Amino acid sequence: MKKDSVASKRVFPVVFMLAITLVFISITTVIYTYTKDQIALNERLRLKQAVLYSAGVPLPDNPLETERLYNERVEEVKDESGTVRYFAIRKPDSPSTESFVIIKTGAGLWGEITATVGFDSNLESFVGLEVLDQNETPGLGGRIGESWFKEQFRGKRPPLGTVPEGDPTDTNQFQAITGASYSTAAIQDIMNTSQEFARTEIGNE
Amino acid sequence: MPAFKLKKVFADDLGANNPIFAQVLGICSTLAVTNVLKNTVVMCVGLIFVTALSNMTVSLLRKYMPSRVRMMVETLIIASYVIIVDIVLKAFLPDISRQLGPYVGLIITNCIIMGRAEAFALSNPPGLSFMDGIASGIGYSYVLLAIAVVRELMGSGSLWGYPVLGDWWTNWSIMVMAPGAFFMLAIFIWVVKGIINKEEEEST
Repeated sequence: MKKDSVASKRVFPVVFMLAITLVFISITTVIYTYTKDQIALNERLRLKQAVLYSAGVPLPDNPLETERLYNERVEEVKDESGTVRYFAIRKPDSPSTESFVIIKTGAGLWGEITATVGFDSNLESFVGLEVLDQNETPGLGGRIGESWFKEQFRGKRPPLGTVPEGDPTDTNQFQAITGASYSTAAIQDIMNTSQEFARTEIGNE
Repeated sequence: MPAFKLKKVFADDLGANNPIFAQVLGICSTLAVTNVLKNTVVMCVGLIFVTALSNMTVSLLRKYMPSRVRMMVETLIIASYVIIVDIVLKAFLPDISRQLGPYVGLIITNCIIMGRAEAFALSNPPGLSFMDGIASGIGYSYVLLAIAVVRELMGSGSLWGYPVLGDWWTNWSIMVMAPGAFFMLAIFIWVVKGIINKEEEEST
């Protein structure tokens, strides 16, 4: 192929680009296909862990035990289309319900925050919170996923407000993340709107 | 691969030609991830992997790649490796993947990778290009790790998520925010440039 020919100047670059694109797409597709089941498994396990954590159930160390505990104590309540509306957590060795967990989303600083929120059986106070998905700034707003932040919601009652200084002294207060006011406000909003949502979904049962 | 060339590549990328304080490349991720040490380590490992393999792949194709489409090809190669890193993290290290969030995908935009592909891989053999990728990645990594240690320690009182400084320490919130990153990077460049300039003065 002469250097200055139409084929070398115009056709070959296009063909080369197409060929190289095909090669790399194939490689990434193979890797994706090989790992997609594992990724789906991780996501399902993550949801189950989040439900148990939000319900105040101590999490086992290994995934198999988590699965067993989930199957034993959690009932997924679904609508006609098969979408889970909420989770009912049974008491150990008893059919009666100990707590409920809902999935709630809200607007964060950089994108949507999805969380599981746990309520007691009367839907009056929070049992726990787990952040399932968020795109907040790591080290700042991303700290909403840290255990010290999530743990403070256990036993609190809505409507929640942030404590201006020091440690919370009231069941309606929680400590914000310094430098992450938007992310904190997003969680506050999710928590404060979740009781009404839960009453709508669960209260009629 | 001649040993003297390898030595020069490492000396350059870790020293006088360091991507961060000499070439001032990859600054976005330097500022973004260095507020948490764990995220910094994962970013560094990911960048070393992508830079080394991208360099080697670009070098392998350099004799056949038309110059008109070279940047598109380089971007495709870099993006593919980053996608692979992202998929592998999601499959085998899901907690880390969740913590890093969008920053893994942002490796594609890191100037160091494209910069080394253009400046080195296009005109050097694959083996040496691979080692240059590793050297550039290591040069990037030690700067980021030094900044991350200071930022997480002063900003959160912890290292790797473990409390270190105790209750007596009041966290410097500015250290985990963007201005803190700018300050630390500027101080680092200032110190290193000072040392390099002093050595040059002494040698003359």
